[in-house]
Amino acid sequence: MTMDDNKLTFDKITSDLTHHIRINKGFLIWMGFLTLSLLICLYAYSIQLKTGLGVAGIRDYITWGMYLANFVFFVAASLIGMLISAVLGLIGMKWLTPITRIAETIAVAFAAVAGLVIVSDMGRPERLAYVFIYGRPQSPILWDVTVITTYFVLSLLLLFLPMIADMAIIHRKVETLPSWLRPVYKVLSLNFTDQPAQNKIISRAIRILLILLIPAALSIHTVTSWLFAVTSRAGWDSTVFGPYFVSGAFVAGSAAVIIAMFFFRKNYKLQDYLTDMHFDKMGKVLATVSLVYLYFNINEFLVPGYKLKRADAIHLQELFAGKDALLFWAVQVGGLILPILFMLFRRFRKPLPILIISIAVLIAAWFKRYLIVIPTQEHPFLPIQHVPGNFIHYSPTLIETLISVAPFILVLIIITLISKFFPVIPLHETAQEKGIGHIKFD
Amino acid sequence: MRFNTLFILILIFTAGTRTSAQTWVVPDEQKAVVAPFKFTPDMQKQGEQIYLKNCQACHGLMGKDNWARLTPPPGDLSREKAQIQRDGEIFYRITTGKTPMPEFRNILSEEDRWWVVAYLRTFNPKYVQPNPVAKAAFTGRIVTLAMQYNDQMKKIVVTASEQLKDGQKGPAAGVEVVLFVKRYFGKMQVGDIRTTNAAGLALFEFPADLPGNKDGNVALTAMVNDPKGIMKTTPADAAFGIGVPTEKPGLTETRAWWSHRGQAPVWILLTYTLSVVIVWGFILYIVYSILQIRKLSKG
Ligand code: HEC
Repeated sequence: MTMDDNKLTFDKITSDLTHHIRINKGFLIWMGFLTLSLLICLYAYSIQLKTGLGVAGIRDYITWGMYLANFVFFVAASLIGMLISAVLGLIGMKWLTPITRIAETIAVAFAAVAGLVIVSDMGRPERLAYVFIYGRPQSPILWDVTVITTYFVLSLLLLFLPMIADMAIIHRKVETLPSWLRPVYKVLSLNFTDQPAQNKIISRAIRILLILLIPAALSIHTVTSWLFAVTSRAGWDSTVFGPYFVSGAFVAGSAAVIIAMFFFRKNYKLQDYLTDMHFDKMGKVLATVSLVYLYFNINEFLVPGYKLKRADAIHLQELFAGKDALLFWAVQVGGLILPILFMLFRRFRKPLPILIISIAVLIAAWFKRYLIVIPTQEHPFLPIQHVPGNFIHYSPTLIETLISVAPFILVLIIITLISKFFPVIPLHETAQEKGIGHIKFD
Repeated sequence: MRFNTLFILILIFTAGTRTSAQTWVVPDEQKAVVAPFKFTPDMQKQGEQIYLKNCQACHGLMGKDNWARLTPPPGDLSREKAQIQRDGEIFYRITTGKTPMPEFRNILSEEDRWWVVAYLRTFNPKYVQPNPVAKAAFTGRIVTLAMQYNDQMKKIVVTASEQLKDGQKGPAAGVEVVLFVKRYFGKMQVGDIRTTNAAGLALFEFPADLPGNKDGNVALTAMVNDPKGIMKTTPADAAFGIGVPTEKPGLTETRAWWSHRGQAPVWILLTYTLSVVIVWGFILYIVYSILQIRKLSKG
């Protein structure tokens, strides 16, 4: 802490963590920009709705294109809530307090949008409910929609519960609050007055949630990996796909959290709360999960590469030295190996360097999903014959790309709204940890 | 820029050589074949129906250039490329096909195929039909098969009879017969091809271990082996109780991974339902207790 802890008063913390809750010009411009971009993407989607999925580059052979890669990425990024809050939180890592809400916000935003991403791949989206109505309990698709819905609700509750006390504080103490917002916070605060009985309910509910979150999160990404792994295709037909996906998800999510931390710290002036120490620790977390992911990568390529069954050989050849080689090595080296090497040094775990590393890791994480989903479909077991050229080689169209960008804009909108209207850093919890004692509710 | 032009030229060149390497040659004597009858408006109408059912999916509507995007492109048959060909040439292409175009030899009768040609020609104002040449009467063998199971010999007996010159029926000797047994998909040949003896008989041994239905019945088909298509033949179908009685439930009649929802394995149903009920039970409990917070407030 750069500040003398003794000087921290409750009012100072409150004002530090809530001064950004107001509607200013920067916010309006940013939201205007996001809304406009979203409208452009929605226009692209309207074309797809009218004309059909043929406007995308997917065809009879490569049926899972960018949309599916996007879907896997979104599910992956949402997993971070579970790592930060549940796994590290339950172990009792105190330095996490200012980061938990950021992680939960990212989890909620990505999980909410992941469901929409899959809709972009549906030719008849109005039949979405059929997945449930006619779903077969034997099918990983039904498990997937079930666990994603569940995980989203769990994450939303976990975001909300620690906020109850914060909102009680805000609607009473923050004078700068826009007047129309005050009643909203009052309702959301559920008349919280720091009664021991109230606190007991909240902490018990959080404990239950944290415990439920671990199996739920493990399932959502394991099941997503099974959508691929239960198919006997080269590159998908793997028994370690579950942990491979889960560890990859932690990599993407940790990078996303670091990026968010950086921007919140700068824009909302949270330097005293999100310190260099937090970036250093998150850098270590990212390095650790990246190492685990590297380990699974080695498994994924070395074992089939040693046996070199025919289909695997074709697949690996394309990745290592063929058409996808450039992208593959950029992702593996630039998004995994180099970041790990850099992050071993304290100097690179300072806020700015770790931000740059995280951006590289996150971009690579998206392309990694692309490489997992698409190349193998270009080499099915049965030969492709007598079809037009665009059936054989997949290349995303402009409309498809715009439709794939839309979920990112949605995520940014959700994260912006949550972080703008609620304290990014848990207020009540921070005050308690600093030993500032109980808030007096009159 | 210059590189691009060169690249495109190379592409065109290689593409050109590729298609020319696969050209679809029609033998000269087939080109000379003409229809056995004069085309009438009625035939052209019939031909249109056949075209719409069998060809339009690939070749599109005549004169609209809206053929399916296949390689090689099917093309619009009203255009010059098809219409400059002689009747026999078009007829041959329809008869033999060339991947991806199917051969219509066994799908459309000879008459049907000529009717389609008649229809195609209506799009060519310059077309004048060459004089029809009636087909010579059929002079080959006309063979009919019958099949029995002989219990004493434990053999399947196929009898081939043929129409003799004098209009009488007699045994057909020296005819090659193939025996098939029906299975889930398609047919399986039983034993080797047999040639009928002087009495027109061919005997087949039936393997003792082939499964039948639950009564042991197997469905058999005997056919004349006539790869050159020089005979007119009628196959024989029969079912005998000579297989091993087998009662196997259909693939979706028992609970299994691959079956429909009503046949999901019990353990999957239980695991799925229990997990959903337990987790959502906790979620409901948490929502309920959140609502309690409000009640516990003082003042
Ligand atoms: C599965 C698609 C398909 C169907 C069905 C089909 N064709 Fe074709 N047809 C083709 C293709 C592809 C070609 C081009 C073959 C080539 O050039 O190698 C072709 C070529 C032809 C040609 C030669 C055209 C030329 O310009 O030389 C004729 C004539 C023709 N088809 C007639 C028919 C008729 C008549 C039918 C219906 C009875 C039919 N086809 C059904 C795909 C099809």
